[in-house]
This record gives sequence, structure tokens and C-alpha cells, in this order.
Amino acid sequence: MPEVRVSHLFKKFGNVNVLNDIDFTINEGEFFTLLGPSGCGKSTTLNCIAGLEQPTAGSIAVGGTPFVDTERGVYVPTEERNLGMVFQSYALWPQMTVAKNLAMPLSIRRASRSDKAERIHDALDKVGLSHLKDRYPHELSGGQQQRVALARALVYSPSVLLLDEPLSNLDAKLREQARAWLKRLQEDLGITTVYVTHDQDEALSLSDRIAVMFEGHMTQIGTPKEIYERPATAHVAAFVGSCNFFTGTLENRHGRVCQVRLDSNGAIVTIVADGDFSIGQEVTVAIRPEKLTITPEVADEPGVNVLRTEVLTRSYVGSRYEYGLRLGRNVVQVVSANGGLDGAVRLVFDPEDALLYPGVTIPSQEAQELMTVSA
Amino acid sequence: MAILATERIAPVQPRAVLPAPKYRKVFGVGRSRLFQYVVILILAIFVIAPIVPILYQSFTDRPLYEAGGILTVQNYVHLFTDAGFGTVILNTAIFAVSTTVLTLIIAVPMAVLVVRTKLPLGKVLGLSMQWPFYISSLILSFGWITLYGPAGFVSVVVRDAIGFVPWNLYSLGGMAVTEAVALAPIAYVFCANALRQSDASLESAAQVCGAKPFRILFSVVIPMLRPPIVYASILIFSMALETLSVPLLYGTPVKIEVFSTFLYTNGLQSIRPNYGILGAASTLILLVTIATVFVQAKVLKNSQRFISVRGKATRPRRLDLGWVGWVGAAGILLYVIFGATLPILGLVFRSFTLIFTPLQSPFKTLTLDNYDRIFTYTAYIQSIINSVVIAGIGAVVISCLALAAVLVAKRSNFRFARAVEYLALGPQAIPGIIVGIGFFWAFALLPNAVGGLLQGALAGLIVAFGLRALPTAFGSISPALMQIANELDNAARTSGADWFGAFMRVLRSLLFPAFMGAIILVFVTMMKEYSAALFLSSAHTGVIGTTMLELWVQGNSGSVAALATIQILITAVFVAVASQFMKGHADA
Repeated sequence: MPEVRVSHLFKKFGNVNVLNDIDFTINEGEFFTLLGPSGCGKSTTLNCIAGLEQPTAGSIAVGGTPFVDTERGVYVPTEERNLGMVFQSYALWPQMTVAKNLAMPLSIRRASRSDKAERIHDALDKVGLSHLKDRYPHELSGGQQQRVALARALVYSPSVLLLDEPLSNLDAKLREQARAWLKRLQEDLGITTVYVTHDQDEALSLSDRIAVMFEGHMTQIGTPKEIYERPATAHVAAFVGSCNFFTGTLENRHGRVCQVRLDSNGAIVTIVADGDFSIGQEVTVAIRPEKLTITPEVADEPGVNVLRTEVLTRSYVGSRYEYGLRLGRNVVQVVSANGGLDGAVRLVFDPEDALLYPGVTIPSQEAQELMTVSA
Repeated sequence: MAILATERIAPVQPRAVLPAPKYRKVFGVGRSRLFQYVVILILAIFVIAPIVPILYQSFTDRPLYEAGGILTVQNYVHLFTDAGFGTVILNTAIFAVSTTVLTLIIAVPMAVLVVRTKLPLGKVLGLSMQWPFYISSLILSFGWITLYGPAGFVSVVVRDAIGFVPWNLYSLGGMAVTEAVALAPIAYVFCANALRQSDASLESAAQVCGAKPFRILFSVVIPMLRPPIVYASILIFSMALETLSVPLLYGTPVKIEVFSTFLYTNGLQSIRPNYGILGAASTLILLVTIATVFVQAKVLKNSQRFISVRGKATRPRRLDLGWVGWVGAAGILLYVIFGATLPILGLVFRSFTLIFTPLQSPFKTLTLDNYDRIFTYTAYIQSIINSVVIAGIGAVVISCLALAAVLVAKRSNFRFARAVEYLALGPQAIPGIIVGIGFFWAFALLPNAVGGLLQGALAGLIVAFGLRALPTAFGSISPALMQIANELDNAARTSGADWFGAFMRVLRSLLFPAFMGAIILVFVTMMKEYSAALFLSSAHTGVIGTTMLELWVQGNSGSVAALATIQILITAVFVAVASQFMKGHADA
């Protein structure tokens, strides 16, 4: 299974830069996910690899074979790239049975009749649908259609598998099972896979590595753990998982230990952070809801990062409780197993668990507005 | 079973790699690209061929096929000074504007009533608005004259009753009313579609706020109609500019000339036609019609932003207007009966009588003579055969060309995809009579061997009629293709099919119903067409329309009616058969 090398990819639609210097390498057999909100350029990147879009500049090579190289004028059309692709709508040809859908790429490649039959049987077997080979697509459920689409993309043993939000049309319950099944199948086959999604849960659970994209830029590439625990920017932190953001000013700094005065209530918190910060600088503190702990208000014994708050809302969401706490003008989201908290409480977090970003970088103005209360 | 067993035991062997197909290239161009270039080349020749000779002729001092032509603007000067063109412009403007206004007065209330209110017989009335599809405006004009003309059946009845006829069909007003009746269904379709697509919850919202049905109608429903009304009026206006049938039949006896009849009389009826003036007039008319089409395209582009379409289909709620609904239904019924049904039935009935007047019972003179006359002259029989052959071959050829053009325009990364679309839709800006003049000159300019083959031959007529039908075919296939998700061809491409292969393997069978639909449309359009043939037909290549005009001039209105009946019959039979075929395929 070959590696995919995408270097310095640019794409312009009219005057709009859809892709800006996209550069990454996917290792052999890796499950690589392009993650980002809609319109970030992830599908355009995938389509450039597939050859359905032509990049304005840059190059793409698979297994050392150049597919696109704008400088050398190389462009291999889609049909000669030998890639397998599953589309968001599955794109099964409605007038053909499942078997005929799978047969088409094989007859284009002039496979012999017996070879064809065997390959179709194998591919359908892999997705557990060989008993449905004479059905028409409209006679299948959404999940079955999605598996047929996958079988069709695999039947000719392509070099790379491209998946464009293949699970987004399934209902929520089925999606979780389909995700686990897809992961097993990909590991069995060991095929290099490029996966596009806007669903962070999918990205985290499926991928070997994730590339997070915003507005045509690749913001961070890393393992799911790196992306979740050390997001490179506040945008990544906000997009992958939920996060509380507080603006503040850096008051003091000793090595990695920073002291930040929060704008919302004037309290000083301690955060351990890498990176270049200067005293007096405006900063944004980001803390994930599950990294915050609520303790009942007890005897006054202030420790590090103990904030006095009160409970505004409490919602029971099944496995846990979600609290909304007032911190000055802000509402802080906290996840807790304890459902009995009320009134004045304390909010505690570990200095290692908070993230610090330079400047006032509130990812979503609208979301932030919803998280503000009148003092 | 034994085979199955061994299969299960055998370890999964990695299969031999199936490499992606390689497609041959000629000069670095694949067959798909080659196909796309061929399509644009054919279209360009097809569309430009009739226009260039007209432009050239308009600036030349003698017939364009004579040697030694000198470039001049004298033709334009003549046109405005001594050819009486000023009156023509004025007449045309009055005719086109009043036609547009009358059309809207008929069509807009009708669309609102049928689509948005609980109307008695609403469904039947809505369906009956499709009649102009089958019946040409030439036949409708014959029908109207038969009933409402100076000696028409209804006119005579009215004169006997009240002593005079309160209308005069042979006037600009009469022309406008007839044309408006003929074009109303087009405006109706635009408004009705917009009303069907608009979000019904807007009306529910108004109702929740306490608005009564009439309030809802006037403050919510009708304002939403502004875009389709604007678009339809421009379309109707441009169609009124180029129409020939009504002005020719009504205006010629009383010498009222509009654009199209000016070209007709100057090009065909004068003994020594002044080609320069003909060219100059054609050029000016072309400029006007092209301008209206541009405006139309611009308006349509903007109007699509207006239309409120939600992903979920909402069934439009129908308002209950009470007795007003009955009045509306009666009004529509009057339009359908007196506008279309009676004139056509009258014409059909006329074809079986010797004399058609209330003064003497027409049943006394029932006869088949009118048909007899047609079937005794070979030239008349020939014109029927010609019409069928032209429409039959043309339907297939033009639908294929339109299909290719739609594919290139809407589903390729061809650099000139937009140009292909403009070329395919452009001919709607070229009036039929100008297509005739243009191709007449174009064939004259061609080397004798080729030009002679097309001039006065059926092939030439297929080309000219086909040009007129191309936008219709393009317009009917294009939405069908747009409904097929792009991902279906992308899936074929990633599976290894090139652009052409994706069409042949996947899209072709999906597009078949739309293609059959286009064939029906083109057949009917070409069956009704005749204006281009006025310049291009020879004695042996007349079509039903030109023969009808010829018989009309001779005063053989009975045979005209017979021929009209035959044309309607052929159209109806073809549509019935072809739709059956379409249905059969859809079931399979």
C-alpha cells in the first residue's frame, strides 16, 4: 500500500483561495482524516487527490507516481489513478443491481468473466452482503447502500481508499456501529485511507492521524490524542470536543508557570503553558468541561485555581450531569458525575489541564454570546 | 457443495493487481475532449451560419451572391427613410406591448386560482392549459377567423342578433387578443410553477396572524409572483415580436405591417426583393430579440434568488374563496372554450362542410371534398409527408445534438462549456423567418455542390427547423441531467471510466426518459414550424404550414381546415405513441 504525498497545494475558485499551501504525507496503510467545518476545504483536498478537481498549484503523488504536478504540467485524469472512492450520497448507480454496480469497474478493466465473479463475491463477502447481489440500490437500507458503495470502491483493489463523509447519511445509532465496523475492515485490509468528515467523534475514534482544517488552511496534524489534548489553536480546541474560553491578561510568569487575571471576575489563575507569552499580554484560557471539578463550598481554604461560583443550571444527560456555572459574566460548562450540587460551589482545575493561547481568540462570537449572562 | 467447501478451505489469495485503464490520446487529447470540441464546432456552425450572411448582406449594396459588392450603410438609411419602417416599428411596439399586457391579465389570475385556491374543476382546468403544445398559432388563427372573422360563424350570429359586430379581428387589437390567448399558457406555466414551489408555511404564518383568504392572496401570494411575472412578460414580449402567423393572416388584408410581415412581404412578395433592406431590417430585429433574451437571462438569474424553495416538499394549502372561486372557474372556462376549444372544433367541423355559416345549416353540406382536394394533388400529399419526415428525422438528430450539448455544458470541465450553453440556447433569439432568410443566403453562398444539396431540399429544412427547436430540446434535457447527482458520474470516473465512458455506461440509460421527452417536444415543435420554410421550400419541399398558407391565399378555407385537422391528428397520434414508449421504458 503506497503513501500519499500532497505538497504545497493551492486551489482558487475565482478570487477565493479555497486551499492555501496544503502540505501533508500519509503513510502506508494509515487511516488519515481531514477534519473541519463545512467549507474548510477538506472535500476540495480529497477531490484534488481523486482528480475530480484540478489544483491551481502544487503536486500530489501516490506511491511515488505523480498524479498532479502543476510545475511540470503533469495531470493524470481521475479514471487512470486507480483510486477507490465512497461518496457522501453513496452514488450507487440506481439502474444497476448491486452485482452490476460492482461489475462496472471490472469490465472497464477488462477482467475475465470468472475473475469478475470471484472479485465481486469476495468484495460483497467482505462487507457481508453477498446475499443481496441481485437487489437494486433502492431496495437496500441506507447502511446496506453504504456498504455496497464501499465494496464497489474496493472490488478492483485500488491503491488508496478515499471516503467523503460516508457515514453522515446514516442515523445516529447506526453510525456508531458502522464506525466500529469500518475501523475493523480498514485494519484488516491495511489499505491507505483518506477520510473526510466534519464529525469530531468520528475523526477521533477512527483515525491514526487527523489533519484539522479551517478556511483553506491546515491548522494542525497529529494523532487523535495530540489533537484533543494539545490543540494547536483555540479554534482547534473549540472544534474538537467542547471547551470553555476565558479572556484575561498575563500578570506574571515563571518559566512555564503563568498567572492570568481573568476578565470575567478578576480572579487570578495559574496555568502551566509552553510558548511565548509576555507579561501584560492579552491571552485566552481554554479548559475542557471534564477537566473542571466542582466541590461544595467548604471552609475558606483557597488553593491553586479555586474559583468561587454558583450553579446556574444542571442538566441530566444520561451518563453524567452537565452544569452551567456563573463566573462573573461568563457561563462555565462543567461535566460531573455528581448530581447533587447546588447554590454556591467552587470550581477547581489543575494548572496542567488548562490551555493558554495568545490574544483574544474567541472561536465563535455567537457561541460566546450564548455563554454570557448579565452580571 | 463440493466447490463451496474447497473455496472455504482455500486461503484468501491476494489477487493479481487490476491496473487502471489507459485511454488513448491523439495529439494529447482524449476522445472525451475531442467529442467536446466536435460538439462546440457543430453548434457554432449551426448557429452562426444564418446570422453572418444577414449581417454581411445588410452592409452590402447588392445581393450577396453577386460579385463586386461594396460595403455601405445605405441599406439602413433606406430602411428608415423610404421603406415605411417607422410605421412598422410603431405597429410592432403596440402589438407586442398589448399582447404582453393581455397575456398577463389572462394568465396571472388563472395561475393563482388554479394553484392556490379551492377551485371547482381546478385540476381539469390546469391540465387544459397545455393545449397550445399541440396546436400551432397558425391553426389557431385559422380557427379564430373561421369563428370571429368578418364573415366568421360567431360574427354572423352576433350581427343577426344585435345588428353589428362589436369587434374587428383584422386590427392591431384583434391581433393582440388572439396572440394573447395563444401565449397565455406560457405565462401561466411560469406563474403556476413559482406558486407551487413557494413555501406554503408563509401563508400559514399569515393565517396564524389572523389574515383572511383574500388578505393572504393580495399581501402574501401575489407579491411573490413578481419574478415569474417579470420573466414571463419579457418572454411573451419577445415571442410577440417575432410571431408571424397572426399578423400575416389578420394584418395582410388590411395592410397592417409588423416586423415579421415586413420581412415576409419584402422578401417574398415583391417581384424584385431588395436584399439590402431585407438584411438591414433582419439585423435590427435580431438586435432587438437578442437584447430581450439577454434581459430575460438576467432577470431569471436574479429571480432564482427570490424563489423560496425548502428542502421538504410542502403541499400548497389552497385558500377557500367561496363564490368568487366559482366566478374564477367560469372565467377560465370561458377562456378555454372560446379561446381554444370552439375555434379548433369549428375548424375541424369546417373541414367536413362545404359552407360554414349560421345562415345555412352546415349539416346540409357535409362532405369529404376538402380532404379529397388535398389527396388529389401530389404536391399537397408531398407536403404532409415532408412535414412528417422533417419532424421525424429532426426530432432524433436535434435531440441527440441537444443531449450532447447539455452534457458538455453542464457536466464537463471543458473550457468552453458556457459557450456551448449559449450557442444551444441562442437560437431562441432568432425569429423563424430570419432563420429562413439567413439559411437561404447561407446556402446560396456555399459552393454549388453543397449549397445545391441543401437549397430547396428537405435537408435544408431540417437544418433550419432544427435550429429553432434546439433551445427547446436543450431546455428539456438540461433539468433532467441536473437532477442526476454529480456524484454518480464522479463514481464512474473514480471507477475508471473516462468522461465519455461515464455517459455511455451510467448516464445514458438514466437520461433516456428525458431524451424521449425531448424527441416528442422537438417533433411537435418542428411539426408546427413553417416560417423558415417560406424562404427555403421549393415546389416539392413544402410543409403542411406553407401549403395551408397557399390554400388560404387561394381562398380554399375548407382545405385549409382539412389540412389543419390532419396536422393536429398526426401530432396527437405521435405524442400518444411516443409517451407509451416512454412509459414502458420507465417501468422496466
